[in-house]
Parts: sequence; C-alpha cells; structure tokens
Amino acid sequence: MDAPPRQAFALSLLLRASPWIVLLAMLGLTAFAWDHERMLARTSLHTQFDAVLRETVGRMEQRVQGYEQIMRGVQAHLATGSLRERASLHHYVEGLQLDANFSGVQTIGVIEWVSDSARQEHEAAMRKAGFADYAIAPAGQRPAYAPVVQREPYIGVNRTAPGFDVWSDATRRAAMQRARDSGLPAISGKLALVEDGAAATEPSFIMYAPVYALGRPRDTMQQRNQALQGWVYAAFHMNDFMASLYGSLPPGLEIEIFDGTETEPASRLYQGGAVAAKSPADSLRATEYMVVSGHNWTLLLHAREAFLQQYGRSVENQIAAAGSLLSVVLALLIWQMVNAREQALQLAHRMTEELRHMAQHDPLTGLANRALFSDRVSQEIALAKRQRKHFALLFIDLDNFKQINDTFGHAGGDRILQRTAKLLQDSVREADSVGRLGGDEFVILLPQLTDADSVMDLADKLRRALREPFQIDGQTVTMSCSMGIAVYPQDGVDELTLTKNADEAMYRAKAEGRDCIRTAVAAPGSTA
Amino acid sequence: MFIRRSLFMGILRSLGILGLLALGLGSAQAASVDCSRVYTLALHDHGLLYSADTDSGIDKDVADELIRRSGCKVTVSLMPRARIWQLIESGALDLSLSGIENAERRRFAGFAWYFSNKYYLLVRNDAKITRLSDFEKNTQLQLGVIRGFRYSESANSLVDSLQEDNRVNQSGGLAPLYQAFLQNHIQAMIIEPFDFPALEEEKIRSISAILPFRDPAVPHGLIMSRKSLTEAQQAQWRGLIDAMLQDGSMLRIFKKYFKPDLAAALVNFSVP
Repeated sequence: MDAPPRQAFALSLLLRASPWIVLLAMLGLTAFAWDHERMLARTSLHTQFDAVLRETVGRMEQRVQGYEQIMRGVQAHLATGSLRERASLHHYVEGLQLDANFSGVQTIGVIEWVSDSARQEHEAAMRKAGFADYAIAPAGQRPAYAPVVQREPYIGVNRTAPGFDVWSDATRRAAMQRARDSGLPAISGKLALVEDGAAATEPSFIMYAPVYALGRPRDTMQQRNQALQGWVYAAFHMNDFMASLYGSLPPGLEIEIFDGTETEPASRLYQGGAVAAKSPADSLRATEYMVVSGHNWTLLLHAREAFLQQYGRSVENQIAAAGSLLSVVLALLIWQMVNAREQALQLAHRMTEELRHMAQHDPLTGLANRALFSDRVSQEIALAKRQRKHFALLFIDLDNFKQINDTFGHAGGDRILQRTAKLLQDSVREADSVGRLGGDEFVILLPQLTDADSVMDLADKLRRALREPFQIDGQTVTMSCSMGIAVYPQDGVDELTLTKNADEAMYRAKAEGRDCIRTAVAAPGSTA
Repeated sequence: MFIRRSLFMGILRSLGILGLLALGLGSAQAASVDCSRVYTLALHDHGLLYSADTDSGIDKDVADELIRRSGCKVTVSLMPRARIWQLIESGALDLSLSGIENAERRRFAGFAWYFSNKYYLLVRNDAKITRLSDFEKNTQLQLGVIRGFRYSESANSLVDSLQEDNRVNQSGGLAPLYQAFLQNHIQAMIIEPFDFPALEEEKIRSISAILPFRDPAVPHGLIMSRKSLTEAQQAQWRGLIDAMLQDGSMLRIFKKYFKPDLAAALVNFSVP
C-alpha cells in the first residue's frame, strides 16, 4: 500500500515546503489586499479632492456671474437715461441693498467716455453738478479720457474726488477695451483700488460693463465702439470677494489664486485655508485655470496632512501589518503540524524496525534466531545449488551447561550464553553467520567452502577458544563444547537433512566424551 | 333657396379654408419650430467656435441662422463649457452648440449633428515626444484640458489615465491653456481644427508639434436638453439643422473660417 519511492519523496518534499508555500501565498494575498486598499484610498482621496476643486471653482464662477448680473442691472438702468443722472444711480444702488452677502463689492461707479474735444464741456458740467474743483487726473492732454464721474454708495472711501482717468492705467484699460469690444462684463488684472488711497496694497480687481447709447446698433465691434458712452464698474477686494462665497473649504486644504497663468508671489490675489510654509513635493495639488468675465485666474489647491488623513483612509498599513502577522502565524502552525507528522512517521518506522529485529533475533544474545537462521540456510542452499558450491552447518552445544546454570543461577547462565555468542561472532569470518537455536545450542553457517578441512580447522579453533577459562562472580570457570558438522551437498541437500545430520553429529560428539567435533555420516544418496 | 345655397356655399367655403389651413399648418410644422416660449442658448468661448472678444465665430453664426429660421425668441448667453453641460442636464438651458455625445450625455441631451472632426495632441517640442504613448510614460509632463470637455476615444482614455496620476490641469477656457502651454506649466493640450488659427501664431508654432489621435472623426452638433425640450421639439430643431446642411448654408458658414476643402471635410460627415 506504500506509495512508490519517487512519489513518497515528492510528497515529503511538498510537506516540508508547505509552511513556506503557505507563508508566500499569505504574504502575496496580503500584498494584494494592501495594494487594493491603497488604490481605493487613493481613488477616494482624489475624488474628494477633485470634488472640492470643482465646487470651489463653481462657487467662484457663480459669484462672478452674480456680480455680472448686478452690473447688467446698472448697465440697463443707465442705458435708459444719462450717465450724469447722479441721483437716479444713487437710488438704484441703494435699492440693490448690497449687504454682507455682497461684501466683496467696494464701489459701484460710473465712467464717462470723453473725447479730447469734449473735455472742457465735460469738466464744466461736472463742476456745475457740485464738484467745484473737478478736473480729469492725471493732467495732460490725451486723445480721449475715461474719468470716474460717480461712486456709489457715496460713503467712506467712495467720497474720493471724482475725475480719475481710468483709461490712463494699462491694467484697467485692457479690461475696459475688452468690455467695450465684446459688450460683455470684463474684469481687470490685479491692482490696488484708487479709493483705498495711494499707499494701498490690498489685492483687488475691477469689473467693467460697457454702456452704449440707447437705440444705436451694436451688433459688430465697430458699432459697439461707436455707440460707447462709458462704463459702469464694480470694484472688489479679493479677500472680501472670497469671503462672500457660500460654503467653506474642508480642513487641510490651502487655496491660492493668481492673476493670469503665472503663479508668482507678485501676481497672487488670494491665499486662504490651511496655509503652510511649504507643501511636500509629493503632496496632492491641482491647478485650475479659470476664465472669469474674460479674464484668467489660476487657482492652486494644495492638500495638507489634515485633509489626507481625513479622506485618504490609510487602513492599508493595518492590513499589511495584520496580514503579515497572520501569514507568519499560519506558516508556523503548518510547520508544526508537518513536523509532528514527520516525527510520528519516524517513530513508527523505528518501532517497525525494532519489532522486525525482535522477530528475527534472540533477545538475550542478539544472534539470529531459528527463524532467521533457517531463512539464511535456505538462501545459502539456493545459492550453492546454482553455483555448485559447498557450505557447512556447525552445531555447537555447551557441555554440562545445566550444572553451570545450577551453580551460578539463570543470570550467570545468561551471561555465559552472551559471552559464548560474542566469542563465536568474533571468531568467525565476516561472511559466516551465527545463530542461537535455543538453550545452549548455537549454530554457525559457513558459506563458500573450498574444502572440508577448513571447516574442521575453524571448528577446532572455536572449540579451543571456548575452553579458555574466564571469571564469573569472582570464580574461574572453564567451559567446553561439543560440535557436529554437516556439509552441503554430501551431508544433505535440504535444510532439514543438513540440520538433522549436523545435530546428530553433535550428539555423537557428546556421546563420545564431549569437548570434541564429529562430522555427519553421509546419508545414502545425499551427495547425488 | 338663395339662403340655402349661400349657406351651402358658406359651409363649403369654410371647409375649404379649414382644409387649406390644415394643409398649411401641416407643412409649416415640418419646417418650423414651436415658438410658444423664449428659449435659452449658451455659447462657450473656444477658438473659431466663438470669441467673446469679437463676439463672433462659427457657433455664433450657426446660432444666428438657427434663431432666424426658427422665428423664435432665443436668449443667447456665454458660459463655461462645464456649466453648459450642468444646465443642459438640469433643463435650465435649452440649447448649446458643437457638443459631442457619450453614454452619460445621451441620458440628458439630444443632438443634431452638423460637423465632425478629429482630435490632435499639441505638444511642446522640448517635451521630446514623438509618439502619443511617450507622453503618458513621462510622469513629469502635464496635460491641460478644458473642464467639461470630452474627446475621441483614445484621447479620452489618455485624459482619464493622466487624471488618475494627478497630471491633468483643468481650465475654464482655451486662452489660459495656451498661456500655460507657452509658460511650460503644461506640456500638451488636446486641440481641434478650430484651434488651428492659434497655431499660426509664431510663438506657439515654433515651440510645438501636433500628433493626431488615431480615432475616427467625432460628430459635433446642436445640444438639446431632454428635460426642457420634448422629443417633438427636438425633432423640429434637428429639422432646421438638417435643412442648413442640405441647402449649403452650413458649408457657407464653415467656409468663412476654413479653407474650402477643410470646411467641406468638416461638414460632409457620416454619423456612425
């Protein structure tokens, strides 16, 4: 029922390797789970981050649209009357009730488009309207002017004297030209508001909307240029504009807004949220280029540790740790199980071997017992028959063993039997085998004989060796033995005949005075 | 008798007028649009499609012609592309132009195709890209796209893959992308034939190369909100577009902006 050796070897190898296989498989599984969780966390983080970016951009765009709508209202109001109807605009802006929701708006103002030829008439009219010292500033003659003629609500900084020629400033002029040409609201680049005073540095921007003469065509750019009467504008502090947005930025995000597409400190309009000195290189960040009222802003969003921790659910490290630990524990468990099986197998093998040895050997002397010896004789007969060789059986019986037993007891007798066994084994050739048939009877199988004399020589050598005196329990003992020899094939060709003849020869030796050797008397026909 | 006769004639005449009216209404319905309300249409600022600075472009011309043929009152406004798609989905906006479809958009929008075009990757020479796949491999390179835009199949997959690696910069319009491209903040952007005039500018042409995406041309069309327009109303607007294609007025619009052969290639398309 045993597996063939090769299969058994493979199985044993597999069993030995199984803890390692399990360890590798479990670690592989852990790595897979770790990677999967890491990807999930990354995706979730990116989704959150993108959603915040999208929402922030959306809120800013909507806010700008809200202001554009206000501008359109003012634009429409002015288009139906004259730019110089000051009271009318004052009431209109008051009616808008720009409360804290629109705290970004500092000023809503009106700019008149004045050609150089109309300058004197314009300045005179303004002085007449109550601004006694009114003059277009900066002074100097230019082809055309765009002086601020009214600021609302007429409180605080908005009481700054009118007359500033906005057209003289390149940043403002660019936006005003865009508004004039497109007919749409346009916002300026980063600037400081005139209303804040000469030393002002607060990042601000202005939204301009063109006012065309009522009833004049304005379908083409040229028509719009010709119909231009002036602009309405709204001036904003960027910080207030951002504060007026609905909703708030999640914790751990920093937002920066730059004028144009360069992200230089000089062009920074706004910085808010979780402001940190420097973000790590691998930190999550995004750039969005916004187009607000025809102008470009760049929005930078940086994720800081707080955001990464909140949305980047980093359970992947726990998975890695727990998975690795489990892998090692499971591998150890399997190693122990496999080892226990190996040990059990080895024990079983050892016990089987011992049992087999016990079944074939004499427990006292360790010599082959009758069964094993008989087996060896059968084998030798078969071999000798095939090779036409001779072999001999030598029966040995200790003389007067009963007396010795009586004198020294069974323990002493046993010791003598053991000594005899050792002596016999030490004296025979390597190829010979010694057995104990029971009591004080020993037997020796002498294979591959060349002649009968050599058997006699060996037997006599053994007889003499056994006669050597020895000590037992402090007494000197001298032993002798009787021997009978049967040789194959002349004294028998089968085991039974051979043993019988050898036994008989041995009894003859005993009968003829002990301490001598007798050879078998060949049975008739036994040599045939 | 006279009365009876005149009554009979009267009935006959009335029936005749009713019949004529029915015929007239029937034919008018095939060609015209239900103008029982004011419609909204949004343009987005994008190269030759529309420039807010000059208030002109292909989409503006198509919109003008469409509005003229419909006879309806249509409020036209300008807004970012991403906002347009949001509003079309919600039904707050009825119409927009030059839209392309995908599975998600088909849910909330109907389309009436009037041109198709291929997509190209505009890439900086100093990025050392010779094949499209090189761009994805070099993790230092950033792509700029317009928020809300989708492209041909392989262009979409490039954008999606780079997006996962945080290598896509969104933009509300085309102008800042060109700026960022010139300043080397982004190294590539996806362009279409109506972006070509910008490439004729020396400062862009001298530093860039164009790699075509190997996808078939993608049809573009009038976008109609399913929420605000019934199937029948959509069919009426689609009828106007088809008529513009058939009578050559669409080609005439495109010829204003492109060389005749390119204009014809754009307008002569087959819908897959």
